[in-house]
Amino acid sequence: MISRRKSLQTLASGFGAAMGSSLLPDFGQAASSAAGGPKRVIFFLQNQGFDPKTAIPSGMKNTGSLAGVKLPTPISALEPFKEKLHIINGLHGIHTSPSHSAFFGALGGYRGSDGVPPSASTIDYELSKVLPETLLPHLCIGMDSMENMKAKPTVANLSASGAGQPIFMHSNPNHLYQMLYGGISQGEIRKQHEAKSGMFDRIEELAAAKGGNLPSADKQRYGQYVDGFSDINGLREKLGSVSDHLKDFAPEVDSRYTNPEFETDWHDSLLDLGISALKSGITSVLTIGSGRGEIFGAWKGLGVEQQGHNLGHMPQPDNPIWVKIRQYNSRMLAKLIEELESVPEGSGTMMDNTLIVYTSNNADKQHTNGANWPVMLLGNCNGAFKSGQFTQLDGKRPINALYTTILKASGVNCERFNMSEQMAAKYDSGSGPLKEILA
Amino acid sequence: MSRLRFVLTVFILPVFGTLAKAEETYIPGQPIDETFESLAAGFLDRHCIECHDDVTAEADLSLLELGPVDETNAAIWKSVWAQVALQEMPPKKKEQPETIERLRFADWIVGELQEAMKDKGGFTAHLDPNKGNFVDHNLLFGKLPEGVELVPTSTPARIWRVTPQEHITRLNELINTEPAYDPEKPGLRTRGDVVPTNHGGELKLYFGTDRIIRWEGGTVAYATAVKSVPVVLSSARKHGLENYPDFYSVNSAEATQIMGKAVDILKYMAYGPLSLVGFPEQITDDPKSYDKVKPKGDLRGLPTAIVYNTEVVRPLTPVADLMKEEAYTEKQLREAVDYLFEALTFRPPTAKESRDYLTITQDSIERVGKEDGVFMGLSAIFLDRDSLFRPELVESGKPDEHGRIMLQDWELGLALNHALRYIRPDQELRNAIVEGRMRTREDVEREVTRMLEDDSIRKPRVLRFFRDYFDYDLGGYICKDNAAQARTGAPNGNGHFRAMFDAAASTDRLVELILEKDQNVLRELLTTQQVVTTNSDKTYFGRKLTPEESKVAQAEKRAADKALAEALKVELEDVNAKLETLTAKLKEDDLDKDLKRGLTQEKKKLDDEKKRITRDAKRKKSNINTSVEMAEFSGPRIYARVSRRSFGTGSMKPDRQLATAPEGQRLGILTHPSWLVSHSDAMDNHAIHRGIWIRKRLLGGGIPDVPITVDAQLPDEPQNTLRERMRVTREKYCWSCHDKMDPLGLPFEMYNHAGLFRTTELGEPIDTTGEIIESGDPALDGPVENAIEMIQKLAESERVEQVFVRHAFRFWIGRNETLNDAPVLQAAHRAYRDSGGSMKALITSLVTSDAFLYRTREEE
Repeated sequence: MISRRKSLQTLASGFGAAMGSSLLPDFGQAASSAAGGPKRVIFFLQNQGFDPKTAIPSGMKNTGSLAGVKLPTPISALEPFKEKLHIINGLHGIHTSPSHSAFFGALGGYRGSDGVPPSASTIDYELSKVLPETLLPHLCIGMDSMENMKAKPTVANLSASGAGQPIFMHSNPNHLYQMLYGGISQGEIRKQHEAKSGMFDRIEELAAAKGGNLPSADKQRYGQYVDGFSDINGLREKLGSVSDHLKDFAPEVDSRYTNPEFETDWHDSLLDLGISALKSGITSVLTIGSGRGEIFGAWKGLGVEQQGHNLGHMPQPDNPIWVKIRQYNSRMLAKLIEELESVPEGSGTMMDNTLIVYTSNNADKQHTNGANWPVMLLGNCNGAFKSGQFTQLDGKRPINALYTTILKASGVNCERFNMSEQMAAKYDSGSGPLKEILA
Repeated sequence: MSRLRFVLTVFILPVFGTLAKAEETYIPGQPIDETFESLAAGFLDRHCIECHDDVTAEADLSLLELGPVDETNAAIWKSVWAQVALQEMPPKKKEQPETIERLRFADWIVGELQEAMKDKGGFTAHLDPNKGNFVDHNLLFGKLPEGVELVPTSTPARIWRVTPQEHITRLNELINTEPAYDPEKPGLRTRGDVVPTNHGGELKLYFGTDRIIRWEGGTVAYATAVKSVPVVLSSARKHGLENYPDFYSVNSAEATQIMGKAVDILKYMAYGPLSLVGFPEQITDDPKSYDKVKPKGDLRGLPTAIVYNTEVVRPLTPVADLMKEEAYTEKQLREAVDYLFEALTFRPPTAKESRDYLTITQDSIERVGKEDGVFMGLSAIFLDRDSLFRPELVESGKPDEHGRIMLQDWELGLALNHALRYIRPDQELRNAIVEGRMRTREDVEREVTRMLEDDSIRKPRVLRFFRDYFDYDLGGYICKDNAAQARTGAPNGNGHFRAMFDAAASTDRLVELILEKDQNVLRELLTTQQVVTTNSDKTYFGRKLTPEESKVAQAEKRAADKALAEALKVELEDVNAKLETLTAKLKEDDLDKDLKRGLTQEKKKLDDEKKRITRDAKRKKSNINTSVEMAEFSGPRIYARVSRRSFGTGSMKPDRQLATAPEGQRLGILTHPSWLVSHSDAMDNHAIHRGIWIRKRLLGGGIPDVPITVDAQLPDEPQNTLRERMRVTREKYCWSCHDKMDPLGLPFEMYNHAGLFRTTELGEPIDTTGEIIESGDPALDGPVENAIEMIQKLAESERVEQVFVRHAFRFWIGRNETLNDAPVLQAAHRAYRDSGGSMKALITSLVTSDAFLYRTREEE
């Protein structure tokens, strides 16, 4: 049975985001759910694998500080933020069947594959429930080839709110803009926004009218349905009521939105929207799927003419194509950091309370058994996480342990995330969080 | 309550309670108007406190301080309810409460729990199908004790959310034309069948795949490029009956997604594949013509990689008419509204509904223009209450003397339609509804008989019942540890998962074949020797070799490989010799031109032959299986229902064979890999789940929930068999429940966790013994040698048949049975028996029963 709370948390899917029940966003002033823990978390998943050689400084084999070492070219854009960076090598995801992408399993820590529905909720959704409440606790954006983003503006491959309950990613920045900033928009977007608003209001009225004469047990259940429309309409109203605030953050709709030359124009616009949702306090969890969790994707705007599956067949280290893609990712990460650093929060900035998790839904490469699943963390959340270092693990702890760690830092005490003791006996040499990354 | 107060109370109450007992009557469903002091304290004192005081505290539980039901002690009371209702407590050796006393006490607890938990999430455990067996089987099918007075049954008025399968199938009707029923090839997917899950087990709606004539790349490229949307409505249950009306609502996330999908669907209804492509040239019967304009570069995985033919195969509806030209009339708009409303709710709109949606659409058009406005406005209909919930509200009927109102017209027609179908009523049923011929029991009997007799009217709900009842369709969702799976002899990874999805489709077909004969349906399902197979089933229905046999097979394989290598070597020498001669000949100076050409050609052939032999020498091995004795199948070619092409050339195939299982190794679908793997885990068999399945679904027993204090883990001891590792469940505290499940699950140890038959485990002869205890039918009780013997016994049992009828009741009536349903259940069982085990007779009996036909509205 779907509880009201769950319903609120998963409004996301249609919009690509989850909705909380607070009346107003906290605009970054919410108390963290755990001392020093994150107030917001960003997951950035590049498809086709994350070869550790494209991130680990040359010659670095053992755990150690990044101070004084030079980051490899693909991630050189992160050089100024090295003290916030933690490169982790040696987690595994063998149980997620990540060859050709683990799909929902990448963030869920369970078996995933093409066409396999999610078997439980994913970490990003779980965090959106426990981090300080915002209007849309969870926003998912997905970057792909222009053709795919136009033909399938929402797909669901990476995030889920439960077994069989996928959460959709937004890929058309025009739609996402309309959803987030329709109330302060102009022109065609405004018209569409108002038309949809009027229609949803009317649907809510009709739905409510048909619930008038139900037996009491059904009234409650049907009430959840009608309340859903209140949530949808309420969200719009809430966003509308803080429109003055949102104006300061909403990106400008330019030709990249309406007349993109390359798919990367939309990628950039989607990132801008994601950043604006974080900065304005609308969202506390942002999931970015570059390649949307599948084995295709395109980056023609970077001068990468090849696309899709072939990219996954190429070795990544020293490959000019992969250098370009990883550099592009790194510039996006740098932008995220800079933008969040520009907003004061508490005695510091938003970035001080933010954790960015960069990895791939494909472990280390496209055709992989998942024995190594490299990850980069950015941000130490006021000292909750270690940073400025490289950590080499022994390959015996699963990505689930990383997710357990983030939950722990967010104030949730759990020993395992989405892993039974029976599975853990095979796939996890320890339990609880990864001590190696918590300060 | 203080101990002193309790002691005083129990001192007085025994006398009082005993006096009250003799006069009691019990009317099921009537609230028990008693208090803790007037009813419960006495019961506890008479039957519980002796063992559960603070001195003895059996099972670490003292009930001495247990007071009236409240939020804090609700868990204990729930446990007391389960133990008493299931007659687990008081223990058999102790004096038992009178039947009425027990019933009243159990009902009282439920009533109190409902009240206490009203604002705290509610108490609904008694409504869960897993607790359906809490109602005493003997009271339902046997003689009622004096004092029990039944009232004519009915079902509460309600709304019933459509299931995910039903919803996808309903939406699929809008955009895809499924083939008509072909009596020559029954089993192939046909209009009216459920939309099957795809190659990965995901339920999705596919757009335009019936028109794709070319795509670029392989399986994954196809899957990424085609348009598909996943199911939106959630279904949280994994096992058992998953669709009671009170399980589900539709949340805001789902509603929002439905809106998004609706626009995609409407656009496809209007424009077909044109709504999916980047270039109109992608729609052509000559794919080469598209090549002239298609974008350069690697298109794999992109929508632009697909070419659709020009044949219009989607249903052409008023939505397409409306969008044909820019201008439109109000009449066209209204026709589109009315068409869509009936397609989504299965009934025509009322005048108000038609007007409401027309207005919404007109408003949208006014705001954003026709193109976007039509799609936006019409999408609202996808969110009408009746598009997502089926009402059984009896708002207009007149109550009979028992306060019950009979469903009629659209509500009755759609209830009956839903009993069998996922798509809207056929024309005959629609006519009957519209013409006022769906108002009586006889009307229902007429229509259900007609529909059941007509194979071309597909009835996916019947198949769904068997999936829910048996749970044979879960194998593809059970993760397998690679090493553990490798030891079974079955394929690993995706090969295994696909085989399991294929196996579920095969078992579906087997069920249908048994339903076609419609005789002794349950017994046949439990004991059939027929199997529906794919090629991979030769392994899954095979026998795992013993270590000794495996060693012999390996030696044979080595010898065969050696012989093969030697034969190839001889072949190679022969070819080399010929080549040598030929090369020498070609070097001769005076060769005739034609002869030289001929010799050159011959040399080329020999070169190719040499390459082949060299390649074979490297790769070719004998096909001796060193792990499994493969099953041998022969029989006619048949078909099973599979997804539309979802994974390019790697999509599921419908081809099957109807064969016979290897003799002496299998008996019925409980011994088929589809069921066995569905009741296994990553590493091994799941004897406990299998035992619970037998206990609940065949014997009608109930098992209390696992106490939260129990750490339900078997030790990780790879050197020991599952049976040995299950020793932990034989500890006293666990065994009082596990004795009713483990001995029923362990006989299935004759199969490994991929479903292969085996005679040894860890090198030792397998122990497949088990026991049926406390089944409720003394003739069944006793030890069994293996699963086959146990199934044979169970298949002959009348009680088992009755329990099957109870599950059918729950599925078709949509709620748990109560004692008031006893006459319905008995009549259904009689109908099944008298007809020689006909499912049609059973369904007819159920859907013409009072429980199906009558609704009771709560008093305002």
